[in-house]
Amino acid sequence: MVRDYDISNNERQFVLQALEQNVRLDGRKLLEMRDVDIFVSPDEYGYVEISLGKTKVACRVTAEIAKPYEDRPFDGIFQISTEISPICSPFFESGLTSGGKQSNDEVLISRLIEKAVRRSGALDLESLCIIAGSKCWSIRADLHFLNYDGNFIDISSIAVMVALLHFRKPDMEIDGNNVILFDQDQRNPVPLSILHIPLCFTFQFYNPNDDEENIKGNLNNELILLDASLIEERLSLGSMTLTINKNKELCQLVKSGGLNIDASLIMNCCQHASNLVDDLTKKINSVLKHDAHLRENPLEKELQVVNQRDT
Amino acid sequence: MSRLELYSPEGLRVDGRRWNELRRFECRTNTHPHAADGSAYVQQGNSKILCLVKGPMEHGANLAAGTKLDANGPVLSITINYPPFAANDRKKRQKNDRRLQEISIILKRCFMKTIVLKNYSRTVIDISLTVLAMDGGLLACFCNAITLALIDAGISLYDYVSAISIGLFDQTPLLDMNTLEESDLSFVTIGVVGDSDKLNLMLCEDKIPLDKLERLISLGIEGCHRVKQLMDHQMRVAGQELQERQ
Amino acid sequence: MIISISAPTKLESSEKTVGASIVTPGELITDDPTWMRGHGTYFLNDKTYSSVAGSVLKVNKLLSVVPFKGRYSPETGDHLVGRIVEVGQKRWKVDIGGEHDAVLMLGSVNLPGGILRRKSESDELQMRSFLKEGDLLNAEVQSLFSDGSASLHTRSLKYGKLRNGVFVRVPANLIVRAKNHSHNLPGNVSVILGVNGYCWIYKSSSAASSADHSASTNRTAAEMSSSASGKYQPGQGSVSITRLEQESSWDIYSDKNDKLSTNIKDTISRYKNCLLSLSQCNIGINEVRLVRAYEISLGYGDTNILVREDIRKSIGEQVIFQEKMRGTG
Repeated sequence: MVRDYDISNNERQFVLQALEQNVRLDGRKLLEMRDVDIFVSPDEYGYVEISLGKTKVACRVTAEIAKPYEDRPFDGIFQISTEISPICSPFFESGLTSGGKQSNDEVLISRLIEKAVRRSGALDLESLCIIAGSKCWSIRADLHFLNYDGNFIDISSIAVMVALLHFRKPDMEIDGNNVILFDQDQRNPVPLSILHIPLCFTFQFYNPNDDEENIKGNLNNELILLDASLIEERLSLGSMTLTINKNKELCQLVKSGGLNIDASLIMNCCQHASNLVDDLTKKINSVLKHDAHLRENPLEKELQVVNQRDT
Repeated sequence: MSRLELYSPEGLRVDGRRWNELRRFECRTNTHPHAADGSAYVQQGNSKILCLVKGPMEHGANLAAGTKLDANGPVLSITINYPPFAANDRKKRQKNDRRLQEISIILKRCFMKTIVLKNYSRTVIDISLTVLAMDGGLLACFCNAITLALIDAGISLYDYVSAISIGLFDQTPLLDMNTLEESDLSFVTIGVVGDSDKLNLMLCEDKIPLDKLERLISLGIEGCHRVKQLMDHQMRVAGQELQERQ
Repeated sequence: MIISISAPTKLESSEKTVGASIVTPGELITDDPTWMRGHGTYFLNDKTYSSVAGSVLKVNKLLSVVPFKGRYSPETGDHLVGRIVEVGQKRWKVDIGGEHDAVLMLGSVNLPGGILRRKSESDELQMRSFLKEGDLLNAEVQSLFSDGSASLHTRSLKYGKLRNGVFVRVPANLIVRAKNHSHNLPGNVSVILGVNGYCWIYKSSSAASSADHSASTNRTAAEMSSSASGKYQPGQGSVSITRLEQESSWDIYSDKNDKLSTNIKDTISRYKNCLLSLSQCNIGINEVRLVRAYEISLGYGDTNILVREDIRKSIGEQVIFQEKMRGTG
């Protein structure tokens, strides 16, 4: 990080006082998310752009055939690359000037996405195996951060998941030890096997009182915010990111220090996230459905329209 | 090892404990009086951790170049040394191992809220952790060792931070997991401040049904309080000895 | 949910067995709001909590907790040994083993040419020729800044650059505060036990050593200091200003060690090991104990053997034992 986002003392006070009165700068309620805008590429598979307020990321998924890792011959390879470039905000340094050393935020974001999507088994790696020990699909998701207004983690998890759901890999046939790949025109490409859709929710914590109250008091009136914007994120005294799917399974949770929060409040956050995950999953599915609908070639589409009228 | 053997129908775990039992917890402070301002050794079962704290001081040896001293509080630098011999797999860890980097960031943020910041403006506190042997509960051991070493260094803390890991076997929460259990079961690590129910750190990396979480946390809090008691006792005994000497 | 926790480690009785005045971080000290809160405490509403592990100290209405261990925190008048870490604008930064580096202003040192000399700009430019990074010096704390860092001065002949010896670092809390911290020891060796735990053992200067040969170890520190009147020795009251001017020549900033005989070097290293023995056994360090440890160590013969941990330990134990014997007898 080149330089921290400097917030003047007045501004800090203003935002915090407003928060204490349950008012956020953009008029949201404390536990309200910004609107998620999902754009999926209409003419290629596996490219999506997601925006959450002003925060924007793009994700592209690609596939190639590779040799599986020696210790996991039956699994495919799945990589997520998250490099934050100065394009999205001058607060991030490019890998070239920082000598390849990542800032704390970058390490945390990439670890979180890794754990939320890869470790939770959202993508069925076994289905990527072609010939055990010698050939498998290697799926790569490249996240590009386009604009930064807070909450990279949540938006990244949405982007990676939508891109994976949207992606189609070429169909193929195995002939002995040879693999024959089919062009898009010859055979319809096949979707990846996605087992569940884990989504991240990041809560930020604020303390209207002193540190002493936070440690020893029992007011438990710490403020909890969902989906913080840049300025809110910078003022936050602690954050918690949890990843959950619509089966109410917690895939990952990290509260990395920061403000001390009563266990019951943490449970409330989890509960709140589990309510939100349903809506978000529905929204993702409907966008993808709409896209799939438009994609079917014009002739079929016309036929379909007729069919629909018939029924 | 098959999953079934981890918790027998009689309610015994692989190492003979019940579900709510801690492993043997031993700790010592001031283990390296000449090498550091504060030092601690923590042993939880077969996990053994050393922690050295240097500071508060104005010059940090491990500080990244260009890091500025903060007028509002200390700069914490945490280095983790996890040699290949410490765990069974004898894996060599690179210096920029992502998992260790993440853990050090989590610990840093955790203790920034626990140290009484205003007493240590424009200083560096250098914490170095060495894993001598690892048998589960990495983050929890780190956290406990740092707490003790910071106290030993005479650094003002609001309270103890004690941490423990809790796993889930079907319906049963298991306190203080070892490596065997960790490799097959989902688990959560939590860190609690003092005797309160407030969580300072919480880390969960595997799938856990949401409705089980509350049970895990409440068992974990009990476990943390117990660990805190044991650490507190050790601190008092050590303090008594130091006092008698002088 | 009721959970009973049982741990294999048994906790021998509760905290009541150990001293009642010992507190640990987060512990409630008092809920009486009339106390003033000092160091090592914090408070919420009426309740005062401890923030360090230590013993409670009550002075009038001031409540503070003194930690068992901790970095040295300077106090005005402390005699200490420090190391130059930085040469800056009109000041040196000195590492004194505290939380912050101390500053030594150009105006608070004696420069060659006498005490009454004006400091010129050329002095500012050649600061590095007086004291440079890595040089050790002994000095006194002149004043404290609001953040607890110290300002030093060396405006006395007993302070200044250190030569002809070795540096030993011991925990600061082991140094017993005394009237005087520089001592002449038997064996033609002197020591400065800096209050900050930095110590310097060196060859006594020629003037001091002649007085020292007759000195018995049982003399009090005050007596010793008055007899010593060498370059680096106290007794500035007896030194006239003209003499001061002569003494404050360039050689007080000399970097060259005198020629030390093997004998002296051996004695110095013996003292060093004695100092480390005391520190290893966590025994408070003063002149009497150091000399006693030295006498005991002579019984072990060769200096080399003193690096052994068991020998150091037994030296420490014998010092304590002797003290007890003399105390009762």
